[in-house]
Amino acid sequence: MNRRITRRDFLEMCAAMGIALPATSALFDVKHPRGLDFNHVNSPTPQKYLIETMGGGVALFDYNNDGLLDIFLVNSGQLTNPMHQPEAFDRHDPRNWNRLYRQNPDGSFTDVTKEAGLANAGDGNYGMGVAVGDYDNDGFPDLYITNYGKNTLYHNNGDGTFTDVTAKAGVEAGGWSCSAGFFDYDNDGHLDLFVTRYMIWDTQHSKICGNEWQTYCPPAEFPATTNILYRNRGDGTFEDVSQRSGIAALKGRSLGVSFADYDDDGFTDIFVSNDGMRQFLFHNNGDGTFTERALEAGTALTADGKPLSGMGTVFQDYDNDGRPDILVTVLPREVYALFHNDGNGSFSYRSLQSGLGLLSAASSGWGVGFEDFDNDGWKDLFVAQSHVLDNVEVIDHMLHYKEPPLLALNHNGRFERADSGITSAIAGRGAAFGDLNNDGWMDVVVTSLGGAPLVLMNHGGAGHWLSISLRGTRSNRDGLGARVLVNGQVRFATTAGSYISSSDKRLHFGLGAAELAKVEVHWPSGAHQILENVKADQFLEVREPEKS
Amino acid sequence: MSGVLLALLLALQASPSPALQHLHAGLEAEKSGQLDAAVAEFQKATELDPELAVAFVDLGDIYIEKRDYADAIPPLKRAVELSPSLEGAHRLLGYALLAQGYASEAIPHLQKAHAEDALGIALLEAGKLPEAVPVLQKALSQNPNDPDLLYYYGSAAGQLSKQVFDELEERFPDSARAHQMMAQDYAVLRDVPSAEREFLEALRLRPQTAALHLELGELYARAQQWDKAEEQFQLETEVQPGSAEAFYRLGEALVQLGKFHEAREALVSSDQLKGDMPETLYMLGKAAASDGDDSLAQKSWLHVLKLEKDTALAAQAHFGLAGIYRKQGKTAEADREMDEFRKSQSSAGHTDDSPK
Repeated sequence: MNRRITRRDFLEMCAAMGIALPATSALFDVKHPRGLDFNHVNSPTPQKYLIETMGGGVALFDYNNDGLLDIFLVNSGQLTNPMHQPEAFDRHDPRNWNRLYRQNPDGSFTDVTKEAGLANAGDGNYGMGVAVGDYDNDGFPDLYITNYGKNTLYHNNGDGTFTDVTAKAGVEAGGWSCSAGFFDYDNDGHLDLFVTRYMIWDTQHSKICGNEWQTYCPPAEFPATTNILYRNRGDGTFEDVSQRSGIAALKGRSLGVSFADYDDDGFTDIFVSNDGMRQFLFHNNGDGTFTERALEAGTALTADGKPLSGMGTVFQDYDNDGRPDILVTVLPREVYALFHNDGNGSFSYRSLQSGLGLLSAASSGWGVGFEDFDNDGWKDLFVAQSHVLDNVEVIDHMLHYKEPPLLALNHNGRFERADSGITSAIAGRGAAFGDLNNDGWMDVVVTSLGGAPLVLMNHGGAGHWLSISLRGTRSNRDGLGARVLVNGQVRFATTAGSYISSSDKRLHFGLGAAELAKVEVHWPSGAHQILENVKADQFLEVREPEKS
Repeated sequence: MSGVLLALLLALQASPSPALQHLHAGLEAEKSGQLDAAVAEFQKATELDPELAVAFVDLGDIYIEKRDYADAIPPLKRAVELSPSLEGAHRLLGYALLAQGYASEAIPHLQKAHAEDALGIALLEAGKLPEAVPVLQKALSQNPNDPDLLYYYGSAAGQLSKQVFDELEERFPDSARAHQMMAQDYAVLRDVPSAEREFLEALRLRPQTAALHLELGELYARAQQWDKAEEQFQLETEVQPGSAEAFYRLGEALVQLGKFHEAREALVSSDQLKGDMPETLYMLGKAAASDGDDSLAQKSWLHVLKLEKDTALAAQAHFGLAGIYRKQGKTAEADREMDEFRKSQSSAGHTDDSPK
């Protein structure tokens, strides 16, 4: 097999040959990979149907286990002006299909949607987002697509094809779903599924707001609704435990979900970002139930006690103190909310301390990730940005509909804007993170509402890195929910978070100058594993010990 | 109005004249709501005695009562000719003229009648804005709950302001003040680049002008450009070291930028310059809490709660105190403060999460 020359190889080669490269401060190259011809269809209408402005999910996952990340993009569908009953979104039209792009060894992509069995997402479904997880532990990642309509679970058959198993699995949900994520809340080794739902809304009960400006209505115009927790029975079917678990005890306007064990009790907790109201932090009681503790824990509201327009969310440790923190992306004149985990079951609002007051007060954020883009050992921040209202400039000259994504590098827990290399403003929505070209540097795919996605390839640099794949035996096969420590940094294994998107399951660590690493894995099963003197700059698979 | 006068006249005369008899009949008709009959009686009175001023006043009055202002004007004019000192006649004539749109003509009559409310409106309608504003202000002080007066006062003040600014622009287009005024207009329109340009030009022309840096800083703050806002507020505190507002705004900008220690210093200065300001105290508490000084935060927020009850700021203070008490392990106090906070939120729709 031909070995690809990575950016890092190239830099090292240049250095060895004494060739000086022109200095560039941008971290990413905006690429248009051959074969990736997706164009998101949201079909905005004068009716200002709220669904028009919310879609655009993306997943980075290796569906065929060839070692290269593939890209799945969620399309939305066709709307008419006005919509009639029964609602139909022409998803049989190929322009409105979700698309799976298989990555080829040369970095180009091939559209394999049809042969994979993923064409036509159902005429009654207006697409939103995607979650990825190997729910049946067969070693092949499965897809869960969220819609306004009914959601779809596609089982990965392992031969390049998928089968719609929604009805058998019992996970169609209904209503308006947004972000979803696989996680193992009861540590039984089978991935469960959490589905956020935005509100009770349909095209027949839509409204137009803004008087003469004719724009989308704020969420409070529509009733809140419940989220859904599906427990994986381990036989290919799921059980709706929303009521029994306590998840459905609260109604929200939920857009984002992220997972981590914030109090280190061995059970994965759930953070849900809500739009225009308080946020939810569901503490996992370890007995199949959850208690919502956001107000007590300090993650419900800002430091001023004000609600947030919560959209995307990430639940990872940004300040390397070993405890997962929470970031929520919001609308302008709020600030992206950063809740620092203080370690006693409570959080403190640290947006201003961390520099986000300057970076985000005029922006609207959606997809979000804490990833170490410069491999210096600190997780940086990336946010897909754009206002909800496509005519916001008319209403408020100080705001912009399209914005470039935010890249902010982390300097000891304080974020500073960096040059992402993206010069054009887009209507950013979903964002997924992963190492697309396996060069040890994290890349990003950002979706643009009603447009083509951006593929941001990391230039690379000098820092060392380590990429860890978990292979659960007693725990779920991909080790989702594991807490992995590398040289003092912590990552919580998850594909969820961001906004309506799913990221590379591999855990990426920047090591800075360190060429060796100590790796510690706390598996969901309770197993604890330590690997000493692990060499940097490699893709490492860590297999869970079979017995305790 | 003229009923008392008529009674006096009738008492003085053993045998009232026919004109007075018609006048009396007119008043009786008016009392019983027969306005047309009253007009006819007053008309006869004026015909029988063309020198009887009171009859002309009553005739004008009854036309006004009938909202027939055009017909009210001639008899009232005749009344003031016959008896220039009749204040009531001047007032009625002023009203009628004003109602017909003859504001300038109404003014002297309303002045003679000391009818401040109508005079103010007449001055406003006649475009005499500098005179209208104080007159309406005086009228408002006598009738503070009159929405019409409030409207006219606001209108007069606004028009006067515009007139003065137009004059400023016309006569001194390149002055610092003209640029400041333009900047304010752009700021209202949320046109940040144009407002910024005009403010900077004003500052170039007159760097030490009070409030210019403050206004530019506020523009930046509204645009969420907090680093630029901080710089301007800092400069304002140098221009106006006695301005509590400048120090408050500087403190607020520094909090947004995460510079909590400097923010505390600015907010303490603001508090010293003007004490008992809830906004300043709340922000001081926020800066102190973020800077790790829970003691000062607690003190500041308790002070807010002494000044404010059932307001958004009081709710925020309760929320902040709950956080501090929870951190200190004072669970009961934290719960109490959180309960207070929740009470304020239940009406604000922030916790729309009931299972219903």
